[in-house]
Parts: sequence; C-alpha cells; structure tokens
Amino acid sequence: MSAGHPSTAQLETLAEQALERCVGEAQVSVSHERSLLSRFARSQPTQATGIDALHVEIMCVYEGHTGAATTTSCAVGDLETTAAAARAAAEAAANAAGSVGDYPGLPAPDPHWRAQPHDGFDAATAAVDPGSAGRALQDAAGVAAEHRTEAFGTWTAGAVRTAIASTTGVRVTDAVTDAYMRVLCYRPDGRSGFAARSARDAAQLDGAALTGEAAAKAIVAGVPAVLAPGEYAVVMEPEAIGELLGFAGALAFNGLAHNEGRGALAGRLGARVAAAAINLADAPRASLTLPRAFDAEGIPKRPIPLIQDGVAHAVVHDTRSAARAGPGARSTGHALAPGGDPDGPVPTNLVLSGGGAADVAELCAPIVRGIYVTRLWYVNTVRERETLLTGMTRDGTFLIEDGRIGRPLRDVRFTDSVLRLLDAIEALTKTQRLVSAGDFYGPRFAFGVVSPALRARGFRVSGTTPG
Amino acid sequence: MLDQLTNLMDAAIDRCAYADARHVVHDAETVWVRDGRVDRVQRDRSEGVGVRVRVGGAWGFAATSDPSRRAIERALARSLAIAETQPTVVGHPLAPTEPARGSWTGPCELDPFGVTLEDKVELLLAAETAMRGDPRIVRAEASARSALSERTFASTEGAACSQRSHECGAGIGVIALQGNELQVRSYPAAHEGQSAAGGWEIVERLALAQHAPRIADEAVALLAAPACPVGEMTVVLGGEQVALQLHESVGHALELDRMLGSEASYAGTSWVSAADVGSLRYGSELMTVTADATLDGGLGSFAWDDEGVKARRLELIEDGLLRSALSSRETAGEIGESLSGGCMRADGWARQPIVRMTNVSLAPGDAGSLEKLIADTDRGLLLETNRSWSIDDRRLNFQFGCELAREIVDGRLGRLYRNPTYTGVTPHFWRSLDAVCSEPEWRLRGLLNCGKGEPGQIAHVSHGTAPARFREVQVGVASA
Repeated sequence: MSAGHPSTAQLETLAEQALERCVGEAQVSVSHERSLLSRFARSQPTQATGIDALHVEIMCVYEGHTGAATTTSCAVGDLETTAAAARAAAEAAANAAGSVGDYPGLPAPDPHWRAQPHDGFDAATAAVDPGSAGRALQDAAGVAAEHRTEAFGTWTAGAVRTAIASTTGVRVTDAVTDAYMRVLCYRPDGRSGFAARSARDAAQLDGAALTGEAAAKAIVAGVPAVLAPGEYAVVMEPEAIGELLGFAGALAFNGLAHNEGRGALAGRLGARVAAAAINLADAPRASLTLPRAFDAEGIPKRPIPLIQDGVAHAVVHDTRSAARAGPGARSTGHALAPGGDPDGPVPTNLVLSGGGAADVAELCAPIVRGIYVTRLWYVNTVRERETLLTGMTRDGTFLIEDGRIGRPLRDVRFTDSVLRLLDAIEALTKTQRLVSAGDFYGPRFAFGVVSPALRARGFRVSGTTPG
Repeated sequence: MLDQLTNLMDAAIDRCAYADARHVVHDAETVWVRDGRVDRVQRDRSEGVGVRVRVGGAWGFAATSDPSRRAIERALARSLAIAETQPTVVGHPLAPTEPARGSWTGPCELDPFGVTLEDKVELLLAAETAMRGDPRIVRAEASARSALSERTFASTEGAACSQRSHECGAGIGVIALQGNELQVRSYPAAHEGQSAAGGWEIVERLALAQHAPRIADEAVALLAAPACPVGEMTVVLGGEQVALQLHESVGHALELDRMLGSEASYAGTSWVSAADVGSLRYGSELMTVTADATLDGGLGSFAWDDEGVKARRLELIEDGLLRSALSSRETAGEIGESLSGGCMRADGWARQPIVRMTNVSLAPGDAGSLEKLIADTDRGLLLETNRSWSIDDRRLNFQFGCELAREIVDGRLGRLYRNPTYTGVTPHFWRSLDAVCSEPEWRLRGLLNCGKGEPGQIAHVSHGTAPARFREVQVGVASA
C-alpha cells in the first residue's frame, strides 16, 4: 500500500496484516493524515505545509504489562519488526517488574454499546486543494487593508482516517475532517484584534468575514487604559472560556488523577462546584463539535455529563483508570493512547450549555466597570488541586464601562481558579461556538470546546503588560 | 538516501528558485514506571521526507512518510503546487551560505539501544521505590528516554550532508497530598528531568536513586510548610529555574522571525525590534548570553542546521547589551545580514524548519558557589525547580512558579516555604541581576518541551546556566 491517499478500507486491511504479525494479546491502530496548513504575516504568505503521513501503533499486553511500538512504514518487514518490538517491550516490563501488572486487558467489543455514526467527515474538505488557502489569504489581506491594518494568521484543513483491530475482536474505523482559520489584524501602533473559526467543513471558513471581525477590534479608538490588580466583573468570548475549560478537563475530570486523590474533584463528586446554570458535558456528537466515533482503545464514544446544574457529576476514564477506580467503574471512551496515556484520560469534546443572553452586549449591560476578554494566552497551571491558572489576555481586551464595551485595555495577567470562575458565572449567551487551537503537535488530532460567551464576577487580575 | 535526495534536487533546480529536502529517521524509546509498576514502554520509529521549495518568494513544503523515489517525487510536485498557489509575495534574498557537505556524528559513549530494557526498568524502579513509603506520597514516578536521529539533507545549491545524533535523559518525580494541599518535587529537573546529547552514560550519571529519598522527604515537608511570603524581595534562582527564565524571556524574545512579525498570529512577537540590535540594554552588565550550536552535549548542537548552515556560536548579549539575534537565511537576508545565525531547526521530517534556539546560555559569573552566593545574601529567598510558567506574547510580563522556596536570613538558609511564585517584566528583571555563580556551578540543562510553529513543533534545546541573584523581585502574587 502506498502512503499516498489510502482509503479507510485499506487502513483496515493494513491493521489486520499487522495484527496477524503480533504474538499474544495485541491492538493495532492505523491512521493516515492528509492536511494543508498555510500561514501568513504582514498580509503575505510565509509558510505552507502539506502532509501525507501514515502512523501505525501496535500495543501488546503480557501479564498485565503493556508495550507499544510505532512506525510510519506499511512495509511487511517493518510491521513485523514493530510487532516484535511491542511484544518485547511488554515482556521486558513484566520480567523487570517481577509481578503481574495492573493493565486489565484489552477491551472487547460490547454488543450493547457500538460506535455511532457521525457527520464529522466532509469529502470536499478531505480533497481540498492548496488554492483554497491562497484565496482565503487574499481575502484576508484585502479586508485588512480596507481597515488600514495588516493580516496575520493561519488557515488549515485536513482529513484523518483511523482503523483499529485487536485480538479481543475490536474492529472499528473512523474518518473525520476539520478546518480552522485564525486572523489577527495589527495596526501600525501594534494594537491587534483576533477572530477564529473551527469547523468540520473548510467551506465554513470565511477569510473576509473573520478579518473584518478581527480588524473591528484592532481599530477601536482610544488610548489603552491600565487596570490595577484586583477583582473585576468579566465578559469572556467563547475563545477565552474554551481555553479555561480545556484546562479544567485535565485537572478536574481526569479519572486517573481523580483516583489518586490529586484531581480537583476528588471528594467532591455529587457536590455543587459551579453556578446552578452550569451544565458541562463531554458530547462527542453534539451539533457543533468535532465528532469522533471511538477512543484510542476502540471504545465507542457516547455523551457523559460532567457538571449538571452546577453539581459535579462524573470524571472520565480509559480502561486502566477505570480498573484502578474499582468495581462499577468502566471506560467512558476517553483513552488518549492505546492502553491509556501515562497522564490519564481527558475529555476531548467538552460542551458548555448556553444560557439566555441574546449576545455579548446583553452580558455587558449590568457591568459598571469590568473587563471584556477576547482570548487568553499562555495559560498554565499554578496549583493543580485548586485549578489555579495564570495567563494573559491578548488581541482584544477592552474596558466595560457603564454597561458598554469601551476603551481598549492594556493586556492583563490573571491568576484565578477555573472552578471558582465557573461558580461565579452570572449569565451565558444562547449561542455557542466551537473553539479549538488548530496547532497540531504530532499527528493531527483536532478537538475543541463548544462554549457560549459568559459573564462572571470577580475575575482576578494580578498584573498588566507594559505599554 | 543521500543520492536519492540529490537526484530529487537535480529535478527541482529548474522548477523553482530554491529547494531543499530532508530525510529523517528517528528512533526513540521511553520507559515510565510509577507506583511500583512499569507503567508503559514505548518504542517509536518515524521515517519520512520533507521537501521545501521557494517559488517567486513564496514557500511550499510537502512531507511524506513514504521514502520511496516515487513518493518523494510526488512530494516535490506537491510542494511546488502549494508554493505556486500562494498569493504573490516579495521574497527577501536568502543570506548566502557555503553548501553543507560531509557527515557528522554526535557524542555517544554507551549506545542506549544496546542497554537492555530490563536494566533500564531496574534502574528506574530502584529510584521510584526509594521515593515511596510515606502514605502522603500519592504518586511516585520515574522515566527514561533514549533517541537516535539520522538526518540527510540536500539542496539545489549543492548541499549534501548527513548527521547522526543520540539523546538520552531521565527524571523522577513525586506528588504528596494531605487534605487539599498537593505538593510536587522533581529531580534533576521538572518536566521530564534532564536530557542531553549523548548515550546512556547521561542517565547513569544522574544517580536517580541517590536523590530519590530527599525529594520525597521535601515533598512531604512542603505539605506543612507555610505559604511563601508576598512582597518585593531578593531572590536567588537555582540553575534550572534560571534556564527556564532565560528560555522564555531571552531566547524566544531574540528569535528574529518573532521580531519581524512572522510568528505574530501564534507564538507572538517580541518586545525587541531588529533595530535594537547593537544598542539595547537588555540586562545588567553581568548578563552575557550566547547561542552556541557547537557545545558538546547540547540538545541544540549539530554540524549544520536544517537548511544546511554550519553550526555557529553567536554572542546574543554581551555585558548586558544586545549584540545579535537568532536567525535563518531568510530572516537574516530580510534585515541585510550577510550570514544566517544557523538557527533553522525542524521537528522531524513532517515539519518545515523555523527559527529556533540552539543552546542559549548565560555565561557564568564570579559569585563562587551557590553556598557562597547565599552567604553573601542578607535576606531573600532561594527558589528551586520550576513548577509553572507563563509569559505574554511579546515576552515581557512573566510569572513563574517553583516547587520549593527557602528563606535566606543573614547568609543562611532558613525556613521552607510552599507554593512560591514570582512575576516581573523582562528588561526590569534582567537589569536587576547582580550576581551569577562561577563556572563550577554552570551546567547544560536540557529542555524537551519548547513549542512553536504551525503545524506545532517541539524543539529540544539546552541552556547553560548557574544559580543567579536578582534584586527587588515581586514574589508571591499567585497567593493573593
């Protein structure tokens, strides 16, 4: 098989061929990525990347220990070598440990819980040509110039096909597409505005509209105000809240961390942890999300409520974390790697339910003095158990005065807890938006958070960027 | 493979202004042990070819995991198609370079792939076991990684070279929990420990098991330690924290692509402009920073960068004054430099090279040992081992958290404090540098998680640093 553009059926065949070369209990995961990504700066193209890449991962289980090996080759000899390496790794782990490991064994297909079809694959996006990126970039440059700004950003679209086969009888395939465009408009004085969209379908990316949205933020008149550290009412766009919820996914809903008592919801399931209006779920087939049929162990995805009416409801599991959680726990379909990632499972299709506000203007209306945040930047964890994060605002931070978005603000540093912020939410917009990063470290794995905009009390500002 | 790439470049020479091709084979093995068990053993092999072309000033790049002749010819055709569909762009001339020719092999005393998995697991389990015992330890882990990278490069300018290098590293970490208080300790560094270019000897020298009981004891002690005080004070940063401070607030800020705006939409820009080179006072006179791709054992060491420019040693900052920036052939050409800084690096075959740090180091000072520096400090804090980091998109406003703080009173170490953080603004902070420990305290510290570019790329870099002292630093903001 050539690595050109293999079909899902060809990947299934390759997975079977690899599985035939495995000794003992084993799972084979085969995926292929075809993608395009174009970048631009100062309204000109800077880089353009096309990728055709095959990825084969074989995981073997031996006496409760796992060993995994990967290759980018589909040659029979390389599959044999990879299968042998995975088996040798599992055996070495078992021999060195001198005892049976805690991996419970590969999951078998559940006749009552099959992968559901989804509409996350768009054939036109899978076949997209580089001209699409060029046209989007030209549109962005034109609109940016109309606003006396320059456009900077990224356009990308890709397709990923996956097949999993295991000795326990799992046989699943999936095909997904995703597309993403980000535009920043910079004024000559360095002020910037931002807009981005994610979708399953590249045709949804409108370079001109996004650039208009970004430019509108960049050109807001006024000398940027400076805010002293303190607590402020805040209105956050979906991009900002999506970033925070992504961290919450890892810190609060990771079943492995929860088992070890270091998760933020340890001892708090069943307790109120957020405002009563908060409903957060992992919903892999929600209307706006980037759907996925199964996880890295081939376990079918299904919706799982995480916070219901402000009450912590559940954490997510892969096979190993579920086994460690004890009787009654089972994988929820959130493995990030065959056998489970060493750092544990996380939700990849978070959906925060919308509220009753018509738009951000309505969210701002009750605020006498507060902050409007377009997006956050370089967010990182300060203290895990408290979900305490720090980060900066960027590309569209404004002062809210007397119920309206007013002057630009110098970007601020925040140091605040996600769970505290969820508890301080006062209102959410009806409409939601899919937000994702689109940066793709390693093999392409598109995921995002569906979120409305929101208003919250007491956003903790701990510093300001210099002018 | 070199012949295949050279033939491909012969086929490209009349179809574009410039082209290069890289074939990369990367083998890696990682072993994780946790809580008395082997958590996972992972062996990865990745092979492919990336082809980069320049047509009318626009770049096109295509990568394939199929290294056959037909597949890389398809990759060349695709890269040309991608470049040709870009909007018209005024390209800057590439700074000239001598075509890279020959081969290079990095250091490796003990082949890590010749060490049995059983021996690796045994070493890690010994360290991991030595951290457990106290019931407040909820997670103890150890990991080790080995990698071999073989890179072949050819260009339409006549470059034809190959490089082979090993990396190895290991680390241990522990999490202690009591009530709602969670504390972490790591050795020899946070974020996957310490790595360097070389063989398994690097892991053996770390003596993980010897340090394991200490970090477990410290994690437990931190549970009952008072919260770090808040206020403006003198801080002494351990060498590992100086490395991350240098990485975030100096290394990234001096990447010329950021300074010129090419990374604005993702990684951000820089508070430094190209016009500042030669005149900007970046820090105090004790601050001398180099980017040296020729350092033995550096993760950012090579013979040629990923566009075939010979490895260089750049003086970035001399006695506090900005002297140069990290650059590529294109960015150097854009500002009229006659030579590239040799800083183009790519994360494997499926990513195109971008401007990266090599081994960015702070020169040692004359403050003697860490003990002497502490003895010379009346009052302040010693902060050790990074726990969190964040910096704005111009690399100005930063906030770091460390695993542990110790009070310094009258030149002696005193109480232990938990949850220390500090914050600052880059030039103000580096201008407050008033002591750097001497050469014997200087170490190359590997960093494995430097993210940049789209599609995302992870770079491995090293930073040579020694403990250093900074005055009037804002400590403890996150506790507010």
